[in-house]
Amino acid sequence: MAVFDTPQEAFGALRPVCVQLTKAQTWENVAQLQARLGAVSAPALQELQEYVLFPLRFALKVPGPKQERLVQSVVQCISSVLAATCVKKQELLQELFSELCTCLSPPSALNKPALLSEELKLAVIQALHTLMHSAYGDVILSLYQPSTLPLLGFAVSLLLGLAEQEKAKQIKISALKCLQVLILQCDCQEHRHLDEDGAQQCGDLFASFLPGVSITLSRVITGDIKQGHTITVSAIRLFYQIVGLVMSDEQLSRVPKNKEKLSVEQSRISELMIHRGPDWSKSTAEKLTLLMHKIVESSSVHPHWKVKLELVELVHHLMKNCRQSLVDSFSHLLKALVGLVNDENSEVQNRCNEVLQSIAEQRIVAENRALADVLSENLHSLATALPRLMNSQDDQGKFSTLSLLLGYLKLLGPKINIVLNSVAHLHRLSKALMQVLELDVTDVKIVEDRRWGSESSYEPSGCLQKGKCQKKYFRFFTEEKVFQLLQQVCRVLGYYGNLYLLVDHFMGLYTESVMYRKQSAMVLNELIAGAAGVGVDVLHEREDSVNMDDLKGSITSILDEYTDQANWYLITSIDTEEVGTEFSVQHSELPASPGSARSSVLIPSSDPHLSTRTMNGNIWQICIQLEGIGCFAAVLGKDFRLLLLSALYPVLEKAGDKTLLISETAMGTLVDICEACSYDSLQCLINENSDYLVNGISLNLRQLAHQPHASRVLDTMLRHSDVSLLPLVEDVIQDVLSTLDQSYDNQASTFLRVLYSLMAALVQWFGTSCSEEHQQGQTAEWRSRTLSQVQQQQLVTRQEVERFFLDYVRQKQIAEGNLPDTDDEEADGVPPLAKPEPNNSDTEGETPLPSHAQLAKDVMERCIHLLSDRNLRVRLKVLDVLELCVTVLHPHGNHLLPMAHRVWPALVTRLISDDPLAVLRAFKCFPPLNARGPRRHLAPPERALLPSPVRAPTYQPPSREARWNGKAAE
Amino acid sequence: MALPPPDPEFVLRGTSAAVHTLHFSCAGQEPDFPILFSGSENGFVHVWNLKTRRVDTALDGHGRKSVYWVETLDAKDRLLSQGRDQRICLWDLAEGRTSVTDSVFTENVGFCRCSLLKVAQGRWLMAMAAKSLEEVQVLELPSKTSVCTLKPEVGAKLGMPMCLKLWQLDSGSQPWLLAGYEDGSVILWNLSMGKALSQLVCHQEPVMSLDFDSEKAKGISGSSEKVLSIWSLNEQQNLQVHKIHKLVNSGISDITIRSDKKILATAGWDHRIRIFGWKKMKPLAVLDYHTATVHCVSFSDHRNPTERLLAAGSKDHRISIWSIYTQT
Repeated sequence: MAVFDTPQEAFGALRPVCVQLTKAQTWENVAQLQARLGAVSAPALQELQEYVLFPLRFALKVPGPKQERLVQSVVQCISSVLAATCVKKQELLQELFSELCTCLSPPSALNKPALLSEELKLAVIQALHTLMHSAYGDVILSLYQPSTLPLLGFAVSLLLGLAEQEKAKQIKISALKCLQVLILQCDCQEHRHLDEDGAQQCGDLFASFLPGVSITLSRVITGDIKQGHTITVSAIRLFYQIVGLVMSDEQLSRVPKNKEKLSVEQSRISELMIHRGPDWSKSTAEKLTLLMHKIVESSSVHPHWKVKLELVELVHHLMKNCRQSLVDSFSHLLKALVGLVNDENSEVQNRCNEVLQSIAEQRIVAENRALADVLSENLHSLATALPRLMNSQDDQGKFSTLSLLLGYLKLLGPKINIVLNSVAHLHRLSKALMQVLELDVTDVKIVEDRRWGSESSYEPSGCLQKGKCQKKYFRFFTEEKVFQLLQQVCRVLGYYGNLYLLVDHFMGLYTESVMYRKQSAMVLNELIAGAAGVGVDVLHEREDSVNMDDLKGSITSILDEYTDQANWYLITSIDTEEVGTEFSVQHSELPASPGSARSSVLIPSSDPHLSTRTMNGNIWQICIQLEGIGCFAAVLGKDFRLLLLSALYPVLEKAGDKTLLISETAMGTLVDICEACSYDSLQCLINENSDYLVNGISLNLRQLAHQPHASRVLDTMLRHSDVSLLPLVEDVIQDVLSTLDQSYDNQASTFLRVLYSLMAALVQWFGTSCSEEHQQGQTAEWRSRTLSQVQQQQLVTRQEVERFFLDYVRQKQIAEGNLPDTDDEEADGVPPLAKPEPNNSDTEGETPLPSHAQLAKDVMERCIHLLSDRNLRVRLKVLDVLELCVTVLHPHGNHLLPMAHRVWPALVTRLISDDPLAVLRAFKCFPPLNARGPRRHLAPPERALLPSPVRAPTYQPPSREARWNGKAAE
Repeated sequence: MALPPPDPEFVLRGTSAAVHTLHFSCAGQEPDFPILFSGSENGFVHVWNLKTRRVDTALDGHGRKSVYWVETLDAKDRLLSQGRDQRICLWDLAEGRTSVTDSVFTENVGFCRCSLLKVAQGRWLMAMAAKSLEEVQVLELPSKTSVCTLKPEVGAKLGMPMCLKLWQLDSGSQPWLLAGYEDGSVILWNLSMGKALSQLVCHQEPVMSLDFDSEKAKGISGSSEKVLSIWSLNEQQNLQVHKIHKLVNSGISDITIRSDKKILATAGWDHRIRIFGWKKMKPLAVLDYHTATVHCVSFSDHRNPTERLLAAGSKDHRISIWSIYTQT
């Protein structure tokens, strides 16, 4: 496009227009010049710069009123010339600068922007902008001499006025941009960086404008949101740039103590100059703090994310440059920063994190006591306000409040201990946590939900989910993310804080009041996790990682406290079955762990009208403690194995609890423990530690109040383990039986549960041999229950099938009345020659019983005594157990029969004169009887007592049957 | 109201045979864990780690014949065990080894427990029942040289030695031996002269166990009768009956005076462990846990008094561990 490449050609082309313009300053002439300029190449124009500018400047200088349109076009023309050329003379720069400024404000109306059109203002601002960009190096520095201070001040105030008062967005933005250039902080790359002295000099100059600039900018920033985010963003940027420059620590440190004496002719100017001494910087910082507070307040809630981002930059910039001078403002700045860490906008979040990270990395906080003090002060006031805020704010508000709390803690990092070492601070913080973490305990369902596991048959194990925290309901918030924040707060505390101090403090709260107990347990759990560095998100690594022994020590003491009887055996239900036992639990300072169930004083049976709230609270407390144990296991890993000694027993005890939530949580804890201690499965965990458990059971059985717990542990063990457990627990099962012998009256129901589990387990484990017979059983219910087991476990061989059919045929014949044997009377006392039982189990008569069958026999023995218990529930339960005993003993007919013989009278009584429920159950008890049961029981007693011919002959000679008959009829 | 008797601190199971002897080794400092050695009827010596409360190792060196005495030589690495196979074995347990480094063949068919006394650094005396029925032989360890053989006078009809106790007033002084015999008498032997100094008939039945407090010059013995006999030794080296303490049930299988000489424990055939104050024989507690005869009682030698324990081994295959220091 450039037509005129050489200065000569260009001169030739421009001269006529310039002359024309000099003669007549009209808009047309300027336009003509502008048009010609387009055809001149930049190097050529550089040569002719002053020549071309002359008529333009002349046009501006001509006295008298001028057309606005003319001025505008002249200014635009100047700006286009400047855009293509460099200003190489200092005088030219200064003159142009002042001439342009004058355009905006005629000297007559000083400091007040003239009533000019917006276009003109814009043009002038842009021209100024271009001018500043066309000057380089020393030339531009000449503008920043004390002598030019008035001129600069004039320009700054003009631009500020425009930025603040103009309506047009474009002008505001341009004015702010221009100001930015003016303070040599332009965004573009072309500028040379000032050397130290230059910067110092500029700083001195700008210090004079600082009050004006900062106040005006803060007004712009906090102005109407409708002005658009771009303006706010530029204003914020300008603000921190100028503040960062003037208040820079680096510069302030180099300011001489005393004001330099300037020569006489400069004395007037020197009055304008500001000496940035300590006094000045202190008072300025104070004033800036106020402004900064306002800015942070308004920008941190600004709807546009870019403003927030810019705010983060502001904090970053000032933190970097004015660490000492602006320390008072840091509480506001950090608050802003920390508050924005969890902003919805990911860019703000990321940048915020970066900045926090860099602050942490530079160890600004860690090495700066003053800043740490600021932070801890902030923390204190926040902690004070926290309960109130949590009460009044909505979830979003709570979230940001807690983010702030977390941010402070993270920033403090290792300096957290300063806060913690102050009693007042720690007290505030912990109380705040206690209040915020208060659980909602109004849900009745928690108390109502029962586990009916013991009623259903054997629970399959191994399909358990990894223990995860039960969802908790809090009084003051509902959102999960709020809880997660609180979790992080506790973990960060644990990560950096002095563990002993914290554990001690929260243990104090734990014991102090029931009100705080759940919360402090929750906090303790998280503290430990944090101390071990599990799931903590921190800004910088702590100096020394936690000592494993310390951790173990803390965990042990917490564990002891958790499993202390007073904290472990809480009343969680008013179930009639449990209430008697639970109430009589002895409370003492002793832990629930095995071996310590020592003498203690019975508490007076507490208020029987327990509120659901209390029970709900108790349930939650137990759950939290269980979760804690799981967490401790995860933290310690294999080291936890040593603690299983005391921890496993209580957990198993709770796994057998009737409250659904508790037993589920306990199961989760068990799975956690399994994983942490690297056991393959729950069975492994139980089997390999059965010695600890057995020890606990056996010792607790000695205490009346602990018997239910002990039986519950055994119950859980049986439920979740396999046949390999049997030899390990045989010993203790004998203990259980002998304990039962001593207390048939009051403890029967608790022990029956364990006996039931035992027998169910035996049926399950030795199902193959036991359930064979039952395959032939006529009872549909029996079938449905055992068939699945049979199908799973029994590998049906051909012989077995054959035997089954042979059996079946014979049974059928018997049922039809074709008894193979002779009459009852005849065979009295004579054993049958041919044994009707096809399988060989009968021959075992002489050999000692296998242990499981012996157990079944022992249990059956007890059942005989219990069959006539006064309590219907107990009777029903006994019948259940009895049924299982028979199943287990089935293959060992020689042992079963005498037992059956002894059971018979009691059973008959059940059949004839008991509650219908018991009658029904009694019928189910003997599968052989059951086949004809329903019809029989309406018949007269004599007939009802006739053992069914379907099965009885397969066990024994008919003669005995007759004796039964006679005996029972007596 | 007196406190009800405590429960065991914990119970060790898994010997799968009656436990006949126990010995603590808790003096080691961290990270050494306290250890309890137990000898059982099936010939095993179990090494229990009292921290995990589990068997660390099971030593099989007596041909499945009952082990009825275990004792350590100084540290827990060197263990002596005596079994019904008529051997006394010296075990090397250092660094996980479990080998018998030395053994003595006693040729004695009785079940008299040996007695060990450290007379100097690295030098011990061990008294054991010898081959011929009434004799007691004293060996020096580790050289196994015979120091003396103590034969009762001809025609004394003491029967077999049942229990032995080597003692000395203070280290370096002359060692003495107290031996309880089948006929119910206790004899004080002077080892250097090989001569019985004093004889006291304490019981009508064989002396099952005795222990002696050299500071108070007072000893105690138990037999299958219903009494404990307390006797003292006067300046003329004569044994005198001091007191007879009557028991409810008969039969004492082991008596141990605690090292601080304040209390003593007895193992009873009535399944119970009894604790007495040593000074006045004041009954302090009856510990009831076992379901069969208690064979042995032992006090631990832990450095920290609060962690000291009492262990009792019984015919019911269990070892009960009691913490009675805090209680008494």
